[in-house]
Amino acid sequence: MKTEVDKSISVLLVDDHPMVQGGLKACLSFYDDIDIVGAIDDGSKVLAAAKEFRPDVILMDVSMPNTNGIDATEIVKEQLPNVQVLVFSMHNNAEFVTSAMQAGASGYVLKDSEPEMVYRAIKTVATGRNFYSSSVAQELIENPIRIQNEKLTTREQVVLSYIVKGKSSKEIGKALSISYRTVEAHRRNIKAKLNIESLAELIRYAVNHGLLDKH
Amino acid sequence: MNLPLRLICVAMLQVVLTSIVTYFFVIDEYKTLSSNSLVTLERFLIDQKKQELKNYTEIALSAINKPYEFASEDDVSAQTEVAQLLNGLLYSEEDGYFFIYDNKGVNITHPKEPFRVGVDHWELEDENGEKIIQILVNNAKNGGGYYRYPWNKPSVNRSEEKMGYSVFLDKWNWMIGTGVYLDDVNKQLGSLQNEIDQHIGKTKTIILVVAFSSIVIIFLFGLIVNLTQKKRTDLKISLLGQRIINLQEEERRHHSRELHDGIIQVLVSIKYSLVATRMFIDKKEQDMPPALAHASSNLDSAIKEIRRISHHLHPRILDELGLSAAIKDISDEFSERTQIRTYLTMPAARKLLPDNISTTLFRVVQESLVNIEKHANASTVNISLVLKDKRLTLSICDNGCGFSTDSDSFDEQYGIGLRNLSERIQHHAGEFNVMSSEQGTCIVASIPTTSFVNHFNKNNIEEEV
Repeated sequence: MKTEVDKSISVLLVDDHPMVQGGLKACLSFYDDIDIVGAIDDGSKVLAAAKEFRPDVILMDVSMPNTNGIDATEIVKEQLPNVQVLVFSMHNNAEFVTSAMQAGASGYVLKDSEPEMVYRAIKTVATGRNFYSSSVAQELIENPIRIQNEKLTTREQVVLSYIVKGKSSKEIGKALSISYRTVEAHRRNIKAKLNIESLAELIRYAVNHGLLDKH
Repeated sequence: MNLPLRLICVAMLQVVLTSIVTYFFVIDEYKTLSSNSLVTLERFLIDQKKQELKNYTEIALSAINKPYEFASEDDVSAQTEVAQLLNGLLYSEEDGYFFIYDNKGVNITHPKEPFRVGVDHWELEDENGEKIIQILVNNAKNGGGYYRYPWNKPSVNRSEEKMGYSVFLDKWNWMIGTGVYLDDVNKQLGSLQNEIDQHIGKTKTIILVVAFSSIVIIFLFGLIVNLTQKKRTDLKISLLGQRIINLQEEERRHHSRELHDGIIQVLVSIKYSLVATRMFIDKKEQDMPPALAHASSNLDSAIKEIRRISHHLHPRILDELGLSAAIKDISDEFSERTQIRTYLTMPAARKLLPDNISTTLFRVVQESLVNIEKHANASTVNISLVLKDKRLTLSICDNGCGFSTDSDSFDEQYGIGLRNLSERIQHHAGEFNVMSSEQGTCIVASIPTTSFVNHFNKNNIEEEV
């Protein structure tokens, strides 16, 4: 039986597969300082669950129906920047790792790594540091991570679509249930990443990329 | 041969047969009819002439009646009077006259050819060997008769067909004859024949024109029907091909997903159970059974293997992160395996393309890299994905040895893989080009933005704003 200690880390499990959830719970239950506060199976429910359970760490699967783990990470971090997200996936491509990092995840573990490593990862990211499981680390050594500052995130692309349709930051914030300031930050990031200043150029960019059906 | 073409051939054959039958039947009918009417007309005209001759002869006989009736058998003065009377009896503008021969063929009077008087004509023949005077005399002895023979026509001084009528004066053994020339009858008949021939010719032309134009119309109609049908069939085949490819990709995606999201997850959960068991045993401070360690390591290789198969079927990275990430992934893997360096230019935006387009473009990259590895002998590859001027352009350029772009060696070196991809690109309203020189090969696929416009918004923005 685990005992409640002050340093216990609360974890929210996000995985669409009940058997994985069950197996992971069984393993993590051997560690007294991990407290699984909830388990959900869909990326689109993460934000609500995170607000409800206020976990220290979210263990986030990538491939899920509706919203995938990377997009969900971005949405959670947007509103709950203090929650640490540890991406927990079967994919061992470097691209997944960089995308997860870009979305704001603190760590990346492969699902088939030893549960002990998952435990260490949770402990590490809970303290605000980054963690990569050994095979991911291997990938990263071979293809060194460079956070692709030039690449838009899914969220930023959504904001861009709103902007080029003539929406104000206030309207966008309302539509996406985020603050005005967050929208403004996205707007700055978009302009910086695309190296674009004017709205006209943004619109042209959006038309060329099929984000706007006009002209 | 397809059905409409066959129908058209049957229709054309029908027209040809009908035309031939109509042609010969109508022409034959026409000819029979016209020759019948010609014969009728000739008979009528000849009858008219005969009647005329009879009338003239009766007039002549009544004119000589007076000196002849009371003359004796050898009354020379009466004979001279009769001869003179008949000599002066002319009609039909000089061409109608009377002539007299005795029963031995000696001419007694001939107003137009006086040199014949006193000459024996008993043996006179026409060109067919008919003895003209003998026949005329015989006709006359038999009570009068008609006979057609050629004779000089005085008004034109030329030999024409003549119908002669002769009677016999029994008392003096004289044959009195007269005749009409038939050239005007023949002329009349000839011009009629001409007219009929012209009509027949006209009818022939009409039948031929109608038949020919029918054939041309049917042929053109058939050609148009055939072409439109071929176009439609080609389109159907191309659509069907695309559907098969889409189904195949869908199937592969499905199986990949089943493996990745189903079986691997189950295996992972089993792994966790094994670990939990191990931890449980650890806690009891007992030795771990070797079979458990075996099971763990076997499970790991099973997971690895299934992941490999799943990735091979369909790269999940394409669905989760989009085309740029998938290209990055495959090119990294390619560089690592072949030591050929790859340079990428990818757009800042992501997940702009629907599954079928991103899968197609991914397959283009995949196939191109396979070809470069096999044939190009290159040291670097540039892959770029650019969205500009309302087109998405993917290009894969190597610095290898290139190949000649004539179709034979293209097929030989590049197989039908790229050809199929070309068709797939065209299905998305795109263009596909392969350019090769000694400096290397470029494969360029471009798709208009209209083929994927609003795809990102549809998937990521819930309400239309």
